[in-house]
Amino acid sequence: MTPFRLTIISPDGPKFEGDVEEIIVRTTSGDLGIMAGHANCVAPLGMGQATVIIDGKKRYGACIGGLFSMVDGKATIVATTFEWAEDIDAQRAEAAYQRAQQVLDSKDASDTEIALAQARLRRALVRKSVAGHK
Amino acid sequence: MAGVSTKEIKTRIRSMESTKQITKAMEMVAASKLRHAQARVINSRPYFETLYNTITDIVNSNSDFSSPYLVRRTGSRKLFVVIAGDRGLAGGYNSNILKLVYAQMDGAEATVLPIGRKAVDFFRSKGIPALTETYSDAADVSIGDCFSIAKLLSKAYLKEEFDEIHIGYTNFVSVLSQTPATLQMLPLLQQPSGKPRKTEILYEPDSTEVFGAIVPEYLGGILYGALCESRAAEQAARRTAMESATQNAEDMIADLSLKFNQARQAAITQEITEIVAGS
Repeated sequence: MTPFRLTIISPDGPKFEGDVEEIIVRTTSGDLGIMAGHANCVAPLGMGQATVIIDGKKRYGACIGGLFSMVDGKATIVATTFEWAEDIDAQRAEAAYQRAQQVLDSKDASDTEIALAQARLRRALVRKSVAGHK
Repeated sequence: MAGVSTKEIKTRIRSMESTKQITKAMEMVAASKLRHAQARVINSRPYFETLYNTITDIVNSNSDFSSPYLVRRTGSRKLFVVIAGDRGLAGGYNSNILKLVYAQMDGAEATVLPIGRKAVDFFRSKGIPALTETYSDAADVSIGDCFSIAKLLSKAYLKEEFDEIHIGYTNFVSVLSQTPATLQMLPLLQQPSGKPRKTEILYEPDSTEVFGAIVPEYLGGILYGALCESRAAEQAARRTAMESATQNAEDMIADLSLKFNQARQAAITQEITEIVAGS
């Protein structure tokens, strides 16, 4: 397959720069698959797994928030947080999941606490499922 | 006897020495904080730049102006997000950025969102209303806070409470040079330069929704980048200021020591003359 340029960047620094064959990202309106020669497009990213195919091999990452853009044959993922499966601390994600679940189970949590816990729970779930691909 | 008494000079040297100790300690603290801040800036800078370039690219090639973020409004109600420090003794760091922003407020109906104690105090004394003072401690603002601020800004902008949103921060050029700057955050403007693009951009699901989702992320990212730059700039400015303060103290101590020795010498000479004359 024809390779094309992909740059992945997050506030912690650049995460990837190189040629890839295919990208699948989770946008706010569902999964979006991109191959070389795709029309210019922009989509906001949701929370989910990003799959990058390099030389026929799949590489997984947890990608949360930000935007995806494909302009003039160059793809860019500007993520709020991005972690490759191998960099994820599965134990930490599990602990975060348990803590968030506890807050949600308790009866006396305030609305903001619940909203925060829900967001944490979703992030932890994404990390946990991506870490499973190691 | 020469002008000043030796005792007086000695007291001054002592006080100078304790001042020097303080400035030296502050310099070292700033230097160590600077190292952390500098590493953060270097890591976050590519993100800041890519985000800005990507958005500029999208806006420049955009032909669908249905999103309210892209529409220039006629009013002059401006909101300024100003990032300054919490403490003084950082050379011109605080006053440079505050002066720059204050000059830009001229003639506009301005509101501020101050970040940092110095910014809060300055705009309060000038009588400029603040949107919120929740983020008065610049040192405590986290990346999560940046995104909360971004949501707050985009909500206020959509409710048409403001016509323009600007950010004032300090660019960390190098350890020796920091330049204050302002950047227009909203509305997103098309740059007149650059060739018009022929190809259209596909928005998934549609332009209004894409901009609706991207803009808060963009603002959050820009805020975080600006905050990292400003923090590094503050520490660099403080380090330089304290370094020269220490140097000045050393110069003064050397000067005073010379005077002290002269005075001591003069006193001894006088004593000898008196003894010789008396015998």
